[in-house]
Amino acid sequence: MASKFWTQGGSDTEEEETDIEDEIENGGAGETTAAAAGSRYLQTNASDSDDSDGQKRVVRSAKDKRFEEMASTVDQMKNAMKINDWVSLQESFDKINKQLEKVMRVTESDRVPNLYIKCLVMLEDFLAEALANKEAKKKMSSSNHKALNAMKQKLKKNNKQYEELINKYRENPESEEEKFEDEDEDEDEDESGSELEDPSQIAAESSDEDDEGEDVDDDDADGAWEKKLSKKEKLMDREFKKDPSEITWDTVNKKFKEVVAARGRKGTGKFEQVEQLTFLTKVAKTPAQKLEILFSVISAQFDVNPGLSGHMPINVWKKCVQNMLVILDILVQYPNIVVDDMVEPDENETQKGADYDGTIRVWGNLVAFLERIDNEFFKSLQCIDPHTREYVERLRDEPLFLVLAQNVQEYLERIGDLKSAAKVALRRVELVYYKPQEVYDAMRQLAVLSEDGEKDGDETKVEETRGTSAFVVTPELVSRKLTFPENSRALMDILVTLIYKSGDERTKARAMLCDIYHHALFDEFSIARDLLLMSHLQDTIQHMDVSTQILFNRAMAQVGLCAFRVGLIAEGHGCLSELYSGGRVKELLAQGVSQSRYHEKTPEQERLERRRQMPYHMHINLELLEAVHLICAMLLEVPNMAANSLDAKRKVISKTFRRLLEVSERQPFTGPPENVRDHVMAATRALCKGDFQKAFDVINSLDVWKLLRNRESVLEMLKAKIKEEALRTYLFTYCSSYDTLGLDQLTKMFDLSDAQIHSIVSKMLVNEELHASWDQPTRCIIFHDVEYSRLQALAFQLTEKLSILAESNERAVEARFGGGGLDLPLRRRDNQEYAAGTSGGGGGRWPDLSYNQGRQGSSGRAAYTGGGRPLALGQASRDRSSQSRGTGGYSGRAGSGMRGYQMDASARMVSLSRGVRG
Amino acid sequence: MATYDLTPRIGPNLDRHLVFPLLEFLQERQLYPDEQILKAKIELLNKTNMVDYAMDIHKSLYRTDDVPQDMVERRVEVVARLKALEDAAAPLVTFLQNPNAVQELRADKQYNLQMLNDRYQIGPDQIEALYQYAKFQFECGNYSGAADYLYQYRALCTNSERSLSALWGKLAAEILMQNWDIALEELNRLKEIIDSKSFSSPLNQVQSRIWLMHWSLFIFFNHDNGRTQIIDLFNQDKYLNAIQTSAPHLLRYLATAFIVNKRRRPQFKEFIKVIQQDQCSYKDPITEFLACVYVNYEFDGAQKKMKECEEVILNDPFLGKRVEEGNFNTVPLKDEFLENARLFIFETYCRIHQRIDMGVLFEKLNLNYEEGERWIVNLIRNSKLDAKIDSKTGTVIMEPNRPNVYEQLIDHTKALQGRTYKLVGQLLEHAQAQPAR
Repeated sequence: MASKFWTQGGSDTEEEETDIEDEIENGGAGETTAAAAGSRYLQTNASDSDDSDGQKRVVRSAKDKRFEEMASTVDQMKNAMKINDWVSLQESFDKINKQLEKVMRVTESDRVPNLYIKCLVMLEDFLAEALANKEAKKKMSSSNHKALNAMKQKLKKNNKQYEELINKYRENPESEEEKFEDEDEDEDEDESGSELEDPSQIAAESSDEDDEGEDVDDDDADGAWEKKLSKKEKLMDREFKKDPSEITWDTVNKKFKEVVAARGRKGTGKFEQVEQLTFLTKVAKTPAQKLEILFSVISAQFDVNPGLSGHMPINVWKKCVQNMLVILDILVQYPNIVVDDMVEPDENETQKGADYDGTIRVWGNLVAFLERIDNEFFKSLQCIDPHTREYVERLRDEPLFLVLAQNVQEYLERIGDLKSAAKVALRRVELVYYKPQEVYDAMRQLAVLSEDGEKDGDETKVEETRGTSAFVVTPELVSRKLTFPENSRALMDILVTLIYKSGDERTKARAMLCDIYHHALFDEFSIARDLLLMSHLQDTIQHMDVSTQILFNRAMAQVGLCAFRVGLIAEGHGCLSELYSGGRVKELLAQGVSQSRYHEKTPEQERLERRRQMPYHMHINLELLEAVHLICAMLLEVPNMAANSLDAKRKVISKTFRRLLEVSERQPFTGPPENVRDHVMAATRALCKGDFQKAFDVINSLDVWKLLRNRESVLEMLKAKIKEEALRTYLFTYCSSYDTLGLDQLTKMFDLSDAQIHSIVSKMLVNEELHASWDQPTRCIIFHDVEYSRLQALAFQLTEKLSILAESNERAVEARFGGGGLDLPLRRRDNQEYAAGTSGGGGGRWPDLSYNQGRQGSSGRAAYTGGGRPLALGQASRDRSSQSRGTGGYSGRAGSGMRGYQMDASARMVSLSRGVRG
Repeated sequence: MATYDLTPRIGPNLDRHLVFPLLEFLQERQLYPDEQILKAKIELLNKTNMVDYAMDIHKSLYRTDDVPQDMVERRVEVVARLKALEDAAAPLVTFLQNPNAVQELRADKQYNLQMLNDRYQIGPDQIEALYQYAKFQFECGNYSGAADYLYQYRALCTNSERSLSALWGKLAAEILMQNWDIALEELNRLKEIIDSKSFSSPLNQVQSRIWLMHWSLFIFFNHDNGRTQIIDLFNQDKYLNAIQTSAPHLLRYLATAFIVNKRRRPQFKEFIKVIQQDQCSYKDPITEFLACVYVNYEFDGAQKKMKECEEVILNDPFLGKRVEEGNFNTVPLKDEFLENARLFIFETYCRIHQRIDMGVLFEKLNLNYEEGERWIVNLIRNSKLDAKIDSKTGTVIMEPNRPNVYEQLIDHTKALQGRTYKLVGQLLEHAQAQPAR
């Protein structure tokens, strides 16, 4: 739409605007006497305004877009005028009003764009013309006529708001902009001045759009803050401050009710309301009243947030936290005030003054507010780009929230509302549990540092209240300082104990998961595992809400990582394999949206998923996770493959790993490894040949290891494991080619000590994985070849077939008659025995599920856990000292196969798909 | 050597009076300074009514004849209270001491109560007094009296809670009197109640089990049959869970029992797994020995552990029980343990070897050559070991233990016949049922 006419005019952005204005003027209702001159003004003007809000560069493009849209609507209107089409004109008019709103929001200015005013003028003129032309009116179609009348009404109503501007524009269409710009400030002054004449209007909330704009400005631009605030105060003061003694509880209450009633009404300025309420808190007569109003202030502040997906503006959030602290101050100062959201308090409850003795009930719910604040914090972290400075700045606000949560919790504990206190404690736990000690220390330091910053904040607050000394002065009773234990574990223990004692089911489950995660983070595998198993969470997690399921998955992933770090490969694999089986790790951990090839997600689902995402700083590094998973799988699978090289399908430990291996084997050329997967595949190839050094080197070259705290020891452990598995693989692969194998030779080959090799090989012998035995005097392994004669081999085949036949007969009968009663098929039983045999040797093999279940069935342990009660922790005060005395401790370890316990059974990852669809 | 002393961990789970024998043992073994133990004893006695004994200890500890004032006062108080309780319980006690009167009691509890109330004016108050009196007697160290009264109280009492604590008291008294047979009976009774009773919270139940197991240690390691029974009790799922949860140190006793037991038990494999799992929560030479032999196959390590085990056993109040045979002071359990442990090592060793140098082997087993050879010959003769000694090279040669192909074939096909019969039977059954319908 850019005309070439003005291209040399200036920079691009300005140019566009100019063009639009220009065109409008040309097509306008006849004021375009000096188009060229006008646009000159426009040009300078435009650049001026650009400069003025130059600091808000971020929104620039959005602004332009809005203007563009508006301009195109104006064009449409013009076309409609030409053909006298009132129906479409009416539509366009509605549209432009909506767009106006957007423009105002984007530009954050309080001034209606000239474009709009111009358009209004144009419409007015056209309307007058049309009305005057009676004949044409008669000729109109009925729908058109109707539209004309409707338009007449609307325009009249609408233009009233902008009367002043329109008149000004009419008076001086060309110089309008310039003057406007100059008088910007005065304009504001005037405007509010005009409103001052009718103060009730502002209270009742005029539907003035630009008021809202102004408020946005108030909050965003700090420079303008003071001045405008004082203006506002002036306005409010006029009502109240005439004579402070005249202000009674009643006047304040009436005003308060008025303002609150306007809440949620169409066109109520949200910021405006916050402002008014904040002012009211200063003139409140009794503490209870102040409290009541403060609650409303916070509610109003929550209202500021536009939608579900967006987050609350950060400065509003901060103010919200401050308000909460003030509420706590009041509550601490007047212990007789009770906050309750169950009963509807008496109308005049708040009239009771500070010296009133009985309990005063005020409506409100501290926990709900706190949770909302936390949610907003979480949301803001979700929305902000994690790679920006802003994100870091935002993270710095965390101690602020922790202070609040701590105080609220203390208050709730003091009044004995432990259930709510547990909820608050959970919020605190959820902010701490994922932090390693280093991060925790950093946070503590930040909390100490920010004390100074907070002092500044206090000063500004004093300034704010300077104008009107509040009637109810609340001293800062609640500490604004964070008191942290040295150790994050200590903090967790305190909080978690409280929650286990008095939380509800969900709170307890979540706290438990956080606890598990935290233990795992600190390499306390056995504690994490015990907690996980005895809480029976893996049985009940399917029925919990999605975010808890995500937390469960995160905890599982962390436990897996922990198991790997402490050298428990099989356990690690058990925890992680399920996570990777579906290829939806990102989705399961809520760390990004994974695209599925097979089914498209509806926008609704996508939005839901987006809302569940973890903020970046809480992420578990996916590369590390993948590396750990694949390495675990490799260490288990490679010897396994070598042991069963003849029938590879028989026993697969990691399907994912097998598939990857197949893919990589199919490649005609193998280049140097690039990603994690390639590295592990390269290591696998080396390991298959028993070349431990190369396998380790490849793994070692991964750069994810730098994320580990105790990197050296982990790599050391990994190397030992690789050696061991290489030895096993070697023996499996080449046992048929040797009659004897010397211990010394193996020692040299695998760089292991005699004792280690002896132990490893002995384990294999006992588990009957290897048919051989030691010859002690010569220190070598003698392999026994079990070779069958042809007849014997055939006989074996025959028996095999016979049993298959019998089995299929049985199955046929079973299918026909339905009833069970037959034995388990022989083959399956064999497998079971095999599994039992391998696991029995304690060689860290992975027993089958079936085996495990068998054991579970046989023991009537339900008796003492109290059935399948999901969390037997209710009774468990997790007090370490008492545990060591043997009195408290974990109540019912009861749990599912503590004895035969295999993560395998428990490591059931929660799939979120149900949640997504549901 | 005090590292492996479990007294501090066992103590809290015992009755005050039961801790005494442990302290006595420690004093005898001189693991801790005498002074410390005496102090602990006084501490222990302060809450009981055995004031005289406390005074004695105080005297010997501080080598004075003065006794602190509070002890004297306490003595007076105790005596007074004893008098009061005695008076309160007197009617019932006199009744019970009268054999003729006692004969009137029947098996029916309700009847008894009624009868006592009607004919002797003995009501619930007196019965309650009997309990208090018995308790006081126990506190004073008069265990036999306490045991008698408690027995009679249980016959009359209707309150199940009270009855339970009376039972605990009875058990403690019997243990302290070293009546192992009766104590074992009481133990089983108590166990039944604990298992069947519905506790208010699982935590309480677990706690009761833990106590029961701790108390039972006295019985099991003194009773003739105890070593089998300890396995029966401890290795039950519920009890094993309790051990793992709250008292992993009890694994030592279970492990010892498993090792000492002649009969190899099917649960042994399971138990090894438990040991393996709980290595992080509890470790001592005995469990480590098992881990060495059955988990890691480290025979050198096992041998080292065996030596440590000896020490542990000698210093453990339950395991290191002394028996005097003439002039010798032996610890029977130690010898048994070592013998069995040796067998464990040897057995596993043989399983994975084809040829073993006897010299090296005996060194591992802490035996001299002669003795060792005799030992092995005996094993072979009792057909516990399928092997031959090659005395020229000084080696033991294992007979290859390969399953016979034909046996395998028979094994595979044996089941087929039965299955087919069953199948046919089922078919026929169904066929008959069909026309009937």
